[in-house]
Amino acid sequence: MTARGRVQLEKIVKKHGAFEALKGIDIEIQPGEFFALLGPSGSGKSTTLRILAGLDAPTSGRILLDGEDVTGADARARDIAMVFQSYALYPHMTVGENIAFPLEMAKTPKAEIAPAVREAAAKVKIDHLLDRKPGQLSGGQQQRCALARAIVRKARLFLLDEPLSNLDAMLRLATRVELKKLQRSLGVTAVYVTHDQEEAMTLADRMAVFREGEICQIGRPADVFAAPNCIEVAAFIGSPPMNLITTRTTDGGVLIGGRHVPVAAPLAAGRAVVVGVRPSAVRFDPAGIPVSVDVVENLGDAAILDLTLEGTPLRARYDRFPLPREGETMAVSFAPEDIHLFDPSTRRRI
Amino acid sequence: MKGNKLRLALLLGASGLFLLAWIFPIFWSLLNAFKSEQDVLAYPPKLIFTPTLAAFRDVLFGPTSIVPNLISSFIISIGTTVVTMVLAIPAAYALARLRVPGKKWSGFYVLATQMLPPVGIIIPYFLILRDIGWIDTYQGIILIYLSFSLPFAIWLLVSYFEDLPFEMEEAAFLDGASRLMTLWRIILPQVRGGVAVTVVFVFLNAWNEFLFAVVLSGNVVRPVTISMFNFVSVEQTLWSKLAAVSALAMLPVIILGIIAQKHIVKGLTVGAVKGGGRR
Repeated sequence: MTARGRVQLEKIVKKHGAFEALKGIDIEIQPGEFFALLGPSGSGKSTTLRILAGLDAPTSGRILLDGEDVTGADARARDIAMVFQSYALYPHMTVGENIAFPLEMAKTPKAEIAPAVREAAAKVKIDHLLDRKPGQLSGGQQQRCALARAIVRKARLFLLDEPLSNLDAMLRLATRVELKKLQRSLGVTAVYVTHDQEEAMTLADRMAVFREGEICQIGRPADVFAAPNCIEVAAFIGSPPMNLITTRTTDGGVLIGGRHVPVAAPLAAGRAVVVGVRPSAVRFDPAGIPVSVDVVENLGDAAILDLTLEGTPLRARYDRFPLPREGETMAVSFAPEDIHLFDPSTRRRI
Repeated sequence: MKGNKLRLALLLGASGLFLLAWIFPIFWSLLNAFKSEQDVLAYPPKLIFTPTLAAFRDVLFGPTSIVPNLISSFIISIGTTVVTMVLAIPAAYALARLRVPGKKWSGFYVLATQMLPPVGIIIPYFLILRDIGWIDTYQGIILIYLSFSLPFAIWLLVSYFEDLPFEMEEAAFLDGASRLMTLWRIILPQVRGGVAVTVVFVFLNAWNEFLFAVVLSGNVVRPVTISMFNFVSVEQTLWSKLAAVSALAMLPVIILGIIAQKHIVKGLTVGAVKGGGRR
């Protein structure tokens, strides 16, 4: 299979009147990659997807698909398939007709349509529902129908706009795995919009973290998790997210709750910094700094503890049983390599 | 339990009264259509009589047959309906979807055309049609009917189009459909209820119209609403024939009503819930 589905977004700007929804987006996606656009609602990730699909036009910037400039091209000329958040199935058509529609529009010979529809439906396990109307399907089946309609045409690019957000939690986990398998087996480039960092972390080969119309960071999920490049990404990635403490540097470390904590790459003393510590990186160490346990959230196999370290709130993951009781005093320590430092004025990683 | 029964009885009684007031003229007219002229004029009115089809035979096959007039009415009504729908559907879709300048005022314009007293514009219409030589032509009368039916149909259809989610059209675009194809394959099948309601209203308005027809038509174009007056003259009124023509003229309306009943009821309730349709 030739490598189709290379995407280049160059300096994409989208303005709605005076409001800048996108402030110059640059993304390059490789063929076959599963790429997530992650960010809170209103951060511009859906706008980016719509511009890529051709449903909205950028105010400025260029869109290239496989090296070809499609900035001014119609949605239907771009050879892109999309799964909408609402699925957008055609309610007056059967499942089979829904899946066949893109092929009909592409003037596929009649004899080829039926087998192609059956094959696509079988891939998402709805081949027994072809004669039903979308209204007679469950939410999960509708979602599969939307997927089948998107994959039947073998488009060069596969866009997914929060496709799992309307499913219940159990189904979402199961579908997530299937989605990944499906994308791998088709070898198609996928661009996936989500506000759920866990979905992005588990599904994506690479992801772009959006905030207020800008991309904060692009990278492999593991890299973004390990080294968030700004305070916003640090606050968004991870569940629960990173503890962020505004404090000052000391000679060779930082102050956390008035205590000196050494860091891997010390800065000049007395500088204002934001210290980031993942809840999973808080170590329970009898020789450490004393903390009081305020709240214990039992997750079953672990717990999230809300602690106070000399007036500074801190969340920590704890997986030793029995769990501490609320009101108890414990002690914590931090490994120097687990301390992330951010500049409070530029909000960038130091 | 007892209260419910009383309520039901009152409700049925009230509906019965309304129905009676509504149906009596129709019933009376139908009754007269099957009477002989003597029976019609008999006093006290005869409820029991020997029914005859003489009046129907006369108005259909006699020297004053109304069949050409029925055909004339059909040409006008179908012509008006077809042209209206062909123009109104894309116009309403555009108005519902695209950012058209003056969109806000279009609703007012539509209502204004419905509020104009027809008598007030009939003379300008007459003068215009006379100047272009379209008096007593089908294109002339259809053009005049369009000036009312088109804004009305657009206004009615827009509310149906506005109810459809954007995403469905966007999905169709991405599936490779053009805008026209999307309208035809995706949008229209979903607003077929609204289209049915609009067709019925437009057809009925054209079918029932009298005032413009009487002024703007003549010997070539002579719809059945006008021809009925053949049976009313200074010396006498041929009541049973008039009643027979009325019955025949009502027939298409009733048939259309029965066919479209389901859609009309649905369409009316949609309008009711949304508070008059257009937002």
